[in-house]
Amino acid sequence: MKKELAVLVAVLVSACGGDARVTSNDPFCQRVLPTVEAFLGQARAANPVPNDERYGGTVVMGGIGELRGGMNPVAPIDHSAIQHHQFVNLMTLIDYDENFDARPYLAESWDVSEDQSEITFHLRRDVVWHDGEQTDAHDVAFTYRTVMNPAVGFGNPAYWDHYDKSAEGIEVIDDFTVRMRLRPHAEFLDPWRSVAILPEHLLGDVPAQELAEHPFGTQCPVGNGPFVFDSHSPSERWVFVANPAFPQGLGGRPFYDRYIFRVIPDQTALLTELMTESIDAYITVRPNQAQQIIDNPNVDFLNFRFRNFVMVAWNARRPQLADPRVRRAITMATNREEIVQAIQGGYAVVANSSVPPFHWAYRGFGAEDMAYNAASAAALLDEAGWIDRDGDGVRENADGLPLAVSIKYNTGNQERQDIAEILQAQLGGVGIRVTPEVVDFGALLGQISDPDSRDFDGVVMGWVPEFKLDDMDLFHSARTNEPNAWTGTDNPEIDRLLEALSFSVDRDETARLWAEYEVVLNEEHPFTFFYFPDRLTGVNKRVRGVHMDARGEWTNLKDWYLDPERR
Amino acid sequence: MSEDGAVHGLRRGGAPLTAILPGAPQLLAGRWGAGTVALLVWLGSWWVLIARRHSLADVWAAGWDGPLAITTLLGALVSCWVWSLRDTLGPGGHRDVSVGQWGLACRAFSKNRTAVVGLIVIVGLYYVALITPLVTPADPSAQGNLLTERFLPLSAAHRLGTDQYGRDVLARLLYGARISLTIGFVAVGISVSIGTLVGATAGYLGGIADAVIMRFVDMIISFPRLILLVTIVAVFDRSIFLIVVVLGLTLWPGTARIVRGEVLSLREREFVQAARALGYSTRRIILRHIIPNALAPVIVAATLGIGNTIVLEAGLSFLGLGVAGTPSWGSMVAEGRGDLLNAWWLATFPGLAIVFTVLSFNLVGDGLRDALDPRLRT
Amino acid sequence: MVKYLLYRLVAAVPLVLGISTIIFFVMSAAPGDMVDIMIRPGMTAEVAEQLRANHGLGQPIVVRYVRWMVDTLRGDFGYSVLHGRPVLDIIRSHLPRTLILSLTALAVAFFSGIVLGTIQAIRQYSWLDSGLSVVLLFFYSMPSFWLAYMLILTFSLFARNVWEWPMWFPAAGMLGTDHEGLSFVARVADRMRFMVLPTLSLSLVLTAGIARYMRGSMLEVVRQDFVRTARAKGLPERAVVFKHALRNALLPVITLLGLYIPVLFSGTVIIEKVFAWPGMGTLLIQAIEARDYMLVMGASFFFALMVIVGNLIADVLYAVVDPRIRYE
Repeated sequence: MKKELAVLVAVLVSACGGDARVTSNDPFCQRVLPTVEAFLGQARAANPVPNDERYGGTVVMGGIGELRGGMNPVAPIDHSAIQHHQFVNLMTLIDYDENFDARPYLAESWDVSEDQSEITFHLRRDVVWHDGEQTDAHDVAFTYRTVMNPAVGFGNPAYWDHYDKSAEGIEVIDDFTVRMRLRPHAEFLDPWRSVAILPEHLLGDVPAQELAEHPFGTQCPVGNGPFVFDSHSPSERWVFVANPAFPQGLGGRPFYDRYIFRVIPDQTALLTELMTESIDAYITVRPNQAQQIIDNPNVDFLNFRFRNFVMVAWNARRPQLADPRVRRAITMATNREEIVQAIQGGYAVVANSSVPPFHWAYRGFGAEDMAYNAASAAALLDEAGWIDRDGDGVRENADGLPLAVSIKYNTGNQERQDIAEILQAQLGGVGIRVTPEVVDFGALLGQISDPDSRDFDGVVMGWVPEFKLDDMDLFHSARTNEPNAWTGTDNPEIDRLLEALSFSVDRDETARLWAEYEVVLNEEHPFTFFYFPDRLTGVNKRVRGVHMDARGEWTNLKDWYLDPERR
Repeated sequence: MSEDGAVHGLRRGGAPLTAILPGAPQLLAGRWGAGTVALLVWLGSWWVLIARRHSLADVWAAGWDGPLAITTLLGALVSCWVWSLRDTLGPGGHRDVSVGQWGLACRAFSKNRTAVVGLIVIVGLYYVALITPLVTPADPSAQGNLLTERFLPLSAAHRLGTDQYGRDVLARLLYGARISLTIGFVAVGISVSIGTLVGATAGYLGGIADAVIMRFVDMIISFPRLILLVTIVAVFDRSIFLIVVVLGLTLWPGTARIVRGEVLSLREREFVQAARALGYSTRRIILRHIIPNALAPVIVAATLGIGNTIVLEAGLSFLGLGVAGTPSWGSMVAEGRGDLLNAWWLATFPGLAIVFTVLSFNLVGDGLRDALDPRLRT
Repeated sequence: MVKYLLYRLVAAVPLVLGISTIIFFVMSAAPGDMVDIMIRPGMTAEVAEQLRANHGLGQPIVVRYVRWMVDTLRGDFGYSVLHGRPVLDIIRSHLPRTLILSLTALAVAFFSGIVLGTIQAIRQYSWLDSGLSVVLLFFYSMPSFWLAYMLILTFSLFARNVWEWPMWFPAAGMLGTDHEGLSFVARVADRMRFMVLPTLSLSLVLTAGIARYMRGSMLEVVRQDFVRTARAKGLPERAVVFKHALRNALLPVITLLGLYIPVLFSGTVIIEKVFAWPGMGTLLIQAIEARDYMLVMGASFFFALMVIVGNLIADVLYAVVDPRIRYE
């Protein structure tokens, strides 16, 4: 008995001490991983680490969820994962600078034809995939065809609305030059900042339907960016190592040796890990936690304006909400400034439209008539025919229909729950009965996105516009049967402006159109826009050179370095 | 009440005391369990009544629970007084007429001090839950000023502080007691009814019916309950109704297994044989003869089950799947956990409430188990 | 014995499939599917339909069920969309993590439960006895996640940053940053450091029941004849308790093992989330949230399997330690 016990303990202990790496036994990975290993060996030999004390060490970031879809740019979209495509493992054709203007990245330069119907990208010649193959124009052409192929199911087809999807759409001129055809439209370069280039030599013969689930994504990614995939332990961590062969022209090898992304699905645990210096950065800090991070001497608190906004989308198909005056009255009766100060701790800006405050198109549209004013809200409701006729504290229309709405939000999202609960209290004050309703995220998206049911009155949601602003799928009447047409807006003026906006190329002209659009949108009032929340991050002081802005937390990951004293 | 009895009691001098302070004579006589309950209910109720004398009319007018609270309060006062008086003045004062299994168990139970304390706490909790509108300091859903009344620490105005919307934590704790206690009680009620019926049927019928039912029971029991709950609750709209029903429906197999075991042994006993010989229907035999005799372990399991269910509801809340819309202790702890460092009172008080409630149920359950098991009675 | 075990294993098949079937239909009846969750700005109905077709969601539910059943029986658990890997791969990486955590917790709980229960029995009715009961019940009555947060705050955050204890434990994860580069001994130590808090939170909850049972069992044994005989022979009390009574009192405690395994796995669902322990519990919850049907089915299948294997082990253990039992 004792012997068996000893054996058992020995087995357990050796299991503990064993290699924690999860290696893939997929045939594709079995073939690919050794080539990456070989490439790393050669690249390290060919590019010795420069003699600079900034080199070395490991940076650990902690995030709340897995990088869904991994390093596969065509897989379902996750914002942290996309940033890993852009800035960590893969490369995009272009990049944005601090002013959100395009600058060269994988593409060394580009020319746009006179009539803006052709772009020619000239690629860098010194970028190689992490298995040693050259990254060239064929990869770009392959990526172009892949993301536009409907069978792939690329998540954001709106990117390609005005690109030429036929075979002539893309043309490889030589190994490092590629030409795309398109109908001139606003911010046409923007998708190439977000969508990373895929390796044709590895994925060229994968059937389109299988690309999103290909082991390339999570088991053995082969990128061409500053960090080489090392290992992925599902639900636990991603490990990347510095790419010694990353082009000198783009900064060369990153300073530190390893970058680890840890998945920690609990915010208290994340905060504790940051404060006990077990992780270097905690992404998406809750506003309530900001003060503790600020008070901690070892940690820097960073906040920056981001693109996403939080709003309540109203279902105008419902009789209570069909009248824009009711929707406007709701917004007026809501003290959004107070919510920003209290719930967001001041780390947000009140939103009045979908144009983010940092954006070049932002002209400070204030929607002054929508400022908090319960009295005018009540007056507007009276005017719209909603009056409390039976003295129960809730308004009714002439047919006796009470002004009662449910507001749905998704499970486990405190911020959205806060909004629903506060709306209940504040709208109750002007005679609107609000019932907050919590629904599982999957069920919620099913209920609000299904064009046949649209089973909701109001829903608290977040929306992340691209840098290329586009409200087509939210508000254009031609899209009312698409998943994102929650309100079901049908306003010819909005349609006209949205169409004009999609083809407006000149920035000044575009900004003027946006300003015009904001006024009309405010009149129609499909959403109660709440705020653009800041993104909050805690970063250990030992990490230097960190810069974060609306481009994302990982923007200049490759330029970070560790304080040599505290490595 | 007979004239003799009253005279007898008066002579012992208990009546004047009992008329003012029901429970005090019992306490003096060493029956501290019953005495404490009576005295606490008596004093507490008067205190509430006097402190709230101006707002009684408002409470009466408020919804269904106002009148319920006032009725309960008055009912408790009256019954407390009557009980104590009858108890003191009644024949022999200390009645030990009840013999038999239940009487013995009662006596064994009352000797178990921790269990009696647990019972007192539970009675008190249910009492407070019933009269909540009378004792609450504020409306539990009334939000304060978001800028000035958020996360206020403990003070005289808000004894247990305020939460992220400036709501009074004490008020929410009191209303949360209702939800948590109801969840426990109703879910266990559902499971005990179904479990007892199914278990008794399976045990009594035997054969294929038994085999099929028990395989199903095995299946549910052997699967981790929380995981089953999560799978079901996660994907549907989460009303308190759904949660209670699902909690009840996943708990009954345990009861069924216990009851079946009891029934198997009861089935062959003489009184059941006799009933069968008399030609009674199966239904009648199960309902009238078997179930009442198999109840002891079910009562124990039910008491422990209420405690477990309250904890389980907290676990569900933690996973974001608890009762939505109304405060329950579980959801209060779960929501307050993110603010443990900046507003410790949010999670701590409901947490402690859960611990002491569940602890009480467990103490009572353990006491009942000892009391109802003849082998353990010493 | 072998025959009995085989019989039990075969009997377990419908049990496991039954549970999976229930879960399959519950999941299918739920509103929303995995493609709804992928809806983002720019998504169109057409793309959603394409994705549904790519993921095989187009077919009617019965067809999907039959196909799932056939594949499962053939040992093919399908592909997880959430993780982009075969389900079996995911289970292979997550299952050992849950096992190591729950087995350790089980061992700790049984060990401490047996020790404490014995102490209580020896000192029956003393203040130690009732005090221990109440303290253990106190932990048992706590929502486990709350206990876990208390442990994190005490032994991780405050221990390191406020009180500056020489020893503190990490609050999340299962491996240190430099785990790969460590020596064998250091790796084991690294793992253990990460296991302390989750194990403690899991086992504290279980200890009460085991101790209580042990106490009862011990009290019953002490009254039996052979113990009296041993005492009468003049054996020292220590020998009586440890050699004769304890051995026999342990037997019924083993039956608890089978009973506690499902409870333990329920506990891991919560504890794994608090401590970011990437095991089966977290996996299942994420799979449900993402409507990753294949992964939900696979994970619940393996949960049921683990419980059954655990029960079998308990049975075998019981047979091994109690020679009177013969399974036919």
